[in-house]
Amino acid sequence: MGFFHRHRGLTPYLLLAPGMLFLAVFFLVPLGFLAYQSLETGSIDFGYHFTWAWGNYWDAIRHYRGHFVRSFEYAGIATVLALVFSYPVAYWIAFRGGRWKNLLLLFIVAPFFVTYLIRTLAWQTILSDNGLVVRILRDIHVLGSGGRLLATATAVVAGITYNFLPFMALPLYVSLEQIDHSLIEAAEDLYASKWKAFLRVTLPLSMPGVVAGTLLTFIPAAGDFINAQLLGSPTNHMIGNVIESKYKELLDYPAAASMSFVLMAIILVLVLAYARAVGTEKLTG
Amino acid sequence: MTDQLTRRQLLERAALGGAAITVPGLLAACGGTSTKAGGGGTTVAHKLAKTLHFSNWTLYIDNKPGNRHPSLDQFQKKYGVHVAYNEDINDNASFFSKIQPALSSGQSTGRDIIVMTDNSRYPSLLVKKGWVEKLDKSAIPNIKNLVPQQRHPNWDPNRDYSLPWQSGFTGIGWNQKLTEPITTMGDLLGSKKLKGKVGLLSEFADTLALVMAYNGDDPSKVTDKTFNKAIDTIQKAVHSGQIRAFYGNDYSGPFAKGDLLATMSWSGDIVQLQADNPNLKWQLPDTGGDIWTDNMLIPKGGDVYTASVYMNFVYDPKIAAEIEDYVNYVCPVVGAKQALLKLDPGIAKNPLIFPTKQMLDNVHVIDPTALNNQKYQTTWQNLISA
Amino acid sequence: MSTVAIPAPRARPSALARAWAFVRRHTLTVYSLLFFAYLLLPIGVVVAFSFNNPKGRFNYTWQGFTWKNWAQWDAIPDLKSALTLSLEIALIASLVATALGTLIALALVRYGFRGRASTNLLVFLPLSTPEIVLGASLLTLFLNLNNVFAIGFWTILIAHIMFCISFAVVTVKARLIGFDRHLEEAAMDLGANEWLTFQKVTLPLIAPAILAALLLCFAISIDDFVVTYFNAGNRVTFPIFVWGSARVATPPQINVIGTAIFVVAVTLMLANVVLQRVRESKGAV
Repeated sequence: MGFFHRHRGLTPYLLLAPGMLFLAVFFLVPLGFLAYQSLETGSIDFGYHFTWAWGNYWDAIRHYRGHFVRSFEYAGIATVLALVFSYPVAYWIAFRGGRWKNLLLLFIVAPFFVTYLIRTLAWQTILSDNGLVVRILRDIHVLGSGGRLLATATAVVAGITYNFLPFMALPLYVSLEQIDHSLIEAAEDLYASKWKAFLRVTLPLSMPGVVAGTLLTFIPAAGDFINAQLLGSPTNHMIGNVIESKYKELLDYPAAASMSFVLMAIILVLVLAYARAVGTEKLTG
Repeated sequence: MTDQLTRRQLLERAALGGAAITVPGLLAACGGTSTKAGGGGTTVAHKLAKTLHFSNWTLYIDNKPGNRHPSLDQFQKKYGVHVAYNEDINDNASFFSKIQPALSSGQSTGRDIIVMTDNSRYPSLLVKKGWVEKLDKSAIPNIKNLVPQQRHPNWDPNRDYSLPWQSGFTGIGWNQKLTEPITTMGDLLGSKKLKGKVGLLSEFADTLALVMAYNGDDPSKVTDKTFNKAIDTIQKAVHSGQIRAFYGNDYSGPFAKGDLLATMSWSGDIVQLQADNPNLKWQLPDTGGDIWTDNMLIPKGGDVYTASVYMNFVYDPKIAAEIEDYVNYVCPVVGAKQALLKLDPGIAKNPLIFPTKQMLDNVHVIDPTALNNQKYQTTWQNLISA
Repeated sequence: MSTVAIPAPRARPSALARAWAFVRRHTLTVYSLLFFAYLLLPIGVVVAFSFNNPKGRFNYTWQGFTWKNWAQWDAIPDLKSALTLSLEIALIASLVATALGTLIALALVRYGFRGRASTNLLVFLPLSTPEIVLGASLLTLFLNLNNVFAIGFWTILIAHIMFCISFAVVTVKARLIGFDRHLEEAAMDLGANEWLTFQKVTLPLIAPAILAALLLCFAISIDDFVVTYFNAGNRVTFPIFVWGSARVATPPQINVIGTAIFVVAVTLMLANVVLQRVRESKGAV
């Protein structure tokens, strides 16, 4: 392969070309089309025409502010819950798992192997008004006699939390696992308490995992519509549900497109602000 | 798929003014010519295809264990055409969005017959867009058996493009084990005992018709005032937490399960749901229900002759009666009642299939212009996704 | 969480403190086990209801054990073809995406070149875009270029390759970064050219990462609903079939397929864990 020797400078581009070309054509170009469509006006009956309709964006924000707020609220709560729930377990596997680590990790990723929709439908069965969970919660008076879980915000947030847990737990585990144990031991000698040692050493060292996990959970959660659809009621619908119905039911493509962009823009701003706040400059690895 | 469609599309876009022609739009219109050159217009071949692709709603044809459909077997025996029967329609909107990409780009949908409801905007949209084929009426002599009330719908005045499959009523279903009978919209939308356990239908026309009738307005003449009043009524119920969700066909699960105590629902479904839960009851509300018709249509690119022959086949009163024996909806075929009396007298007397005059007096038909009003549609969609 | 949260006096390890330590140690274990139970609960429901014998259309209350659904797993029309389509797409998409992704990862880790930052960004962006936006924008592209792509098999495949590439890049890259370049240099010193070195040294070393990327892409592809939902047109993949049937009544056969996918995936993972174990113990001897 003398060619590679003579043109070493070319090699990386040759390696990149097929994949990057694919991403450019089927990721960037579609976004361009979406942007174009977001500035159209018209209706399905008479067709859509490009008119620089910036008003679509204003409408998206004005009419659906509630949905946007709710989406980020649900996604935020679910992300925090997922972090709080899975950190101790990731810690446990990383530091106490010993030779069982890989097996224990299997439990974490197990939900991934059951189709997303099927496991959400399973929660529908579990949380049903006449199901065991609701009956127990009623008996111990956490829920009133007519109380329910299904078709409430609680069920939607719980569903999102469950569905994206592995996205949180895995990066947490990876970063915790990489921490040198002797560092922690030294810290425990240095600081008065284990708790302090944890706060000063372990937690900061696991921050890359926390950042990756929260992003991997928050981003898909903010755009989700399955959980609100299957576990919620109309008052719990998120922006994903609106985009979906604009696309699939109303066939109002410009509105759907502009909402998609607003969603993406908010997510990007939040991600950048977050990255700045936690001081992780190498977000893109 | 054919040149004609392409030309029509191009003209349509051109008619909207040169400036308005979008680049993608032009691409769309021009691209059409590249498919299947020599498709050449819509001349009908009088030759039967080997297979008829039929898309229908679930539980909407005669059915025997092992997923046999005796009427389709008879059709195959008689004409040698195998029917690929697909129950892939769950609601009008999502089915339309499934076939729309193919239709708008001039490709075949892979289907010869589809079934869509007239109280949605889609049948008229399909006709208006030129996305359905004309029936070959010479192959459908049995069209004479179509009940007179159904002969001139405003969106297809001469039945050039469509024939009814079944009709049905929208009313109120309730679970008699968990609640007393719910027969008024007032109770459904307001009774404290039902809080959070009530379902409404996401089909615009169904819910609107029943609520407008309850408000004392006429659903067959929708005005901004009566429309807004109905929306207010529904909104109040949603905000008070009375309404659990807006459903398509999917109310059946929570209803049979007991998560819904009462729900707006379709007449024929209840008979089938009683197999799961015998406590389910159904009635038209005192202020009146809603009647609708599902229509067979031939999407562009479908085999017109074979589809027409099939339509003729199911308009034979004997075949219609056999199908009716299973589906429990309102039959559009004259003479089917007599045939069914011989086959299954119990069912033939069911007013849900052959409705009484009293029932027909108590149902409304929604104003078709409201269905195509984009403003109404948007308001509605915003309401049901709160 | 409580373990790390409760400070313990370290200086005087009284009996009480030791008892505390014991309780704390086990609190974390007990918590982790509860967490696993929570993760596995819906899976248990899915598996259990694959053996249910429902009387009517609905499969949500337990009505008796049967093997029938397993024996007649394809009794539901179109279920088999949906599954076949999903498998076909997942297989091709994971192969193509992993190949393209591996090349990109090689370029990114091995070479310094102009445009590296933007390459990184383009790889990262699809990961940080909500699925609904990915799906919607691709549909816009396909609709606007009608007749170039018939909506169906090819559009699903393109969409899947698109969102798998980034995952493949990230997975392979992680392995390449921790890779000892001396081995390659040694091979080159011994007279092997670049291509031969790649074949004989690099490839075997990164093979596990490539396999991992392949499996990850396969899993993501076969589970994808949202992007597929937008770009499938007439075609029905397994998740789309589940969505459709969830609107009417989910037959127990859905649970059968869900369980089968789960069992196959877990078996593969377990085999991998065991293999690693064997290899490690061999290496230790």
